[in-house]
Amino acid sequence: MAVTTSAALADALRGIVGAEHVREGGASVDGVTPRWTAAPGTIEQAAAVVALAHDERLAIVPCGGGTALELGHPPARVDLVVDTKRLDAVLEYQPEDLTVTVQAGCTAGALAAQLAAHGQLLPVDPPGWAERSLGGLAATQGSGPLRHRYGTLRDLLLGVRFAQADGVLTWGGAKVVKSVSGYDIPKLMVGSLGTLGVLLELTLRLHPAPDYEATWLASFRTPAHAQEFVAALLDSTVQPNRVELLDARVCAACRLPESAAAVAVSIGTVEPAVRAQEGVVKALVQYAHGTVETMGASFWSAYDRALARFEGVSLRIGTVPGRLVETLGAVQAVLPGAAVAGAVGIGALRALVAHADAAALLGPLERLRATVAEVGGGVIVERAPRVIRERIDPWGPVPAPALAVMRAIKNEFDPRGVLNPGRFVGGL
Amino acid sequence: MALSASVVAGLQRLLGPAGVVTTLEGRLTYESDMLTLYKGAPDAVVLPTSTEDVQAVVRLCREARVPIVPRGSGTGLIGGATAPQGGVMVSLTRMTNILEIDLTNRCATVQPGLINLWLTNAVRERGWFFAPDPSSQMVSSIGGNVATNAGGPHCLKYGITTNHVLGLEIVTGTGDVVSVGGKAADRPGYDLTGAIVGNEGTFGLVTAVTVRLLHAPEAVKTALASFASLVEASEAVSAIIAAGIIPAALEMLDDAMIGAVNAAVGKVYPDGAGAVLLIELDGPRAEVEAQAERVAAICRERGALMVTVARDEAERALLWKGRKEAAGAVGRITAAYLLQDAVVPRSKLPQIMREMVAIAKRHNLLFANVFHAGDGNLHPLICYDDRNPAELERAQQANEELLHACIALGGSVSGEHGIGMDKAKNLPLQYADADLNFMFRLRRVFDPDGLMNPAKLLPSHPACGEGFRPSRPALPAGTWV
Repeated sequence: MAVTTSAALADALRGIVGAEHVREGGASVDGVTPRWTAAPGTIEQAAAVVALAHDERLAIVPCGGGTALELGHPPARVDLVVDTKRLDAVLEYQPEDLTVTVQAGCTAGALAAQLAAHGQLLPVDPPGWAERSLGGLAATQGSGPLRHRYGTLRDLLLGVRFAQADGVLTWGGAKVVKSVSGYDIPKLMVGSLGTLGVLLELTLRLHPAPDYEATWLASFRTPAHAQEFVAALLDSTVQPNRVELLDARVCAACRLPESAAAVAVSIGTVEPAVRAQEGVVKALVQYAHGTVETMGASFWSAYDRALARFEGVSLRIGTVPGRLVETLGAVQAVLPGAAVAGAVGIGALRALVAHADAAALLGPLERLRATVAEVGGGVIVERAPRVIRERIDPWGPVPAPALAVMRAIKNEFDPRGVLNPGRFVGGL
Repeated sequence: MALSASVVAGLQRLLGPAGVVTTLEGRLTYESDMLTLYKGAPDAVVLPTSTEDVQAVVRLCREARVPIVPRGSGTGLIGGATAPQGGVMVSLTRMTNILEIDLTNRCATVQPGLINLWLTNAVRERGWFFAPDPSSQMVSSIGGNVATNAGGPHCLKYGITTNHVLGLEIVTGTGDVVSVGGKAADRPGYDLTGAIVGNEGTFGLVTAVTVRLLHAPEAVKTALASFASLVEASEAVSAIIAAGIIPAALEMLDDAMIGAVNAAVGKVYPDGAGAVLLIELDGPRAEVEAQAERVAAICRERGALMVTVARDEAERALLWKGRKEAAGAVGRITAAYLLQDAVVPRSKLPQIMREMVAIAKRHNLLFANVFHAGDGNLHPLICYDDRNPAELERAQQANEELLHACIALGGSVSGEHGIGMDKAKNLPLQYADADLNFMFRLRRVFDPDGLMNPAKLLPSHPACGEGFRPSRPALPAGTWV
């Protein structure tokens, strides 16, 4: 192990990225002030920074937009933040291939603007998505309403370049839309919270933006009616791009008429096909004894802003579409103040809890986890004050055999534990 | 290597005499997959019926340090389900149960030996289907599809196998049973499901799979467009994708293939065309109608000689018949062929087609093309006379040149067949040493003893061996160390 003074280390960092791009300290990560923050301007600089930190056994925290730093166990230490904000280039965009290669610090909003000029989109839209970096979205597996039709980054990340723990620049996957050449390394990287490598470049699959889109809000007297509607919709030939649940509190936050449970459905395709399916959607709402209203084009941006405005604790609930009533019931029983929304056709919900302390959340979270565990689901604390995550496992249990494999993978690729140490599942 | 008597006895004790094949003629049945260039009979074949059986076999083999080769239906095209080092082949053809169908939650759980099409058959009447549709789907197993991350014509719109696998159970090379993923969304931890799909049996044996089922579309429309040349047809493909239309399938056949198909199954495609495009659109009826018109207009703009749309199911079936019979029909034009599976970015399709024509001419060879044009996945059949060794050599040379051309255009060595023994040597074209080494180390996590399907997927290469050190970034010279 190298023995190095702080001053010499700072000099070395400056030598790699330039003095103006290294700071002593920096923005705090989950309440911990880093010793340094370095903002590399090239992927080679990023790799060298990681290599140096590895040799010095520093705890490295990769950081993009800095909007999801409350995901995971609180960091025990933060020596070096690798800030990807300068790595924000769109490297290769071939609209006719429906693929794009970007640097990890590029924000989803900046990319969306370029794609829109060619009638294309990257359908990744968790709350506040536009401000988030694409590297951060991949590392945290961020998802929103559009996953109903397009899946998540798991389905969209074709290739990835990253710095391994020791700084070795590595590429996995391909730049084409179809490839089975070797192991699917991009899948391993999505959602890994930077614990296997610092993500630096992403090649992404794009989709054509629909010609025309319309949104309807279906309101129901009870969650059971909403579930009946969703079940009927899923068992129909309608092809929505979003099927999003909004409970009464989320409706209120969006200034929508109050209902026990509402489901916002959007369809995007050629206009005649939107019109034709509208009739079916409305008939299914009626079948489930709901009322339906057509929403304006700004509905989804308003919804995004409303969810992003929620403060406090955010829980990601993974369940199945057929358990909506039980899941909502469990949330209401244990966290009576919570607001719930999410991609109900997939079973990916969010519960937002305004005021909670650790003691008040611990029991309810365990009971909620027990309920969704009946279908193999779980609850991830996506955002919460550090004090809560010090007392509550933010990830929830992972079955021992699977965790053993995850641990073996982490030990193989980061034996010194320098990449985001301690923050991932099982303390990896 | 031959198995010791105690290993054979151990296997027989686990699975009964009917569960172990040791006769020479029995073992020879299992010596290759559909790529018969690679042969290697296992020393024994076992036929487990449960996860427990599989685990017991892996543990026994691990104890005796005997290689283990998984096998589904044996329809792979890469030299994957073959035993070049002998050992025990685990045939999963007796694990064919559908464990659960859960349409409310749009998924099913099956054993690995279940035939792909059987799953769709089980849910079709209720209006559902399993999307991955390799051409072998009538005989290939879902476990094999998972092992190779199989594709198929309709993957253009629906994605390949991995996009439809929600979870699985695997017996790893360490003999552990590990369940990953499942029907509920968003599991915490690494996406092991995603990492395991496409492992070609080198991580272990998948013993159960939970897959996404999709609701069948309201309408399907199939059209045929003929063009004077491959290049023009390719330009039409690029134009369709660039117009923001993702058909369910977009398949191309060239003149050699058209001739073979027409000779084999009757005149389904127009004579005299240099290439035909088979275009399938599915979805809501109004969407399909509108898109069919736009696709037909694009084809005409790009110089289509003729565009026809199937008017009913019988006509649709006829248009597909030619495509589906293509591999068999090729026997009419050649005794032997090499099958390429490389991919190019779809905008580069016209360019690679021009290069392909030049390569064929340079080596005086016949190339017959039938492929998934929409995603740039080439499948040229490079025809040669297997009685003429010099011609095989030329065919191999042409094959290599085409592969290099695809990679030079930013492509991939395999779009849907996988790597196996056949393309392992090609992986270094696409990956640097550090990338290969990362894959090698991932494999070793699942299979530390190197017993799972050895000699497949990764090349014999220094980066895929113990002790390799990829080059690290240069650090500035300084006083800190």
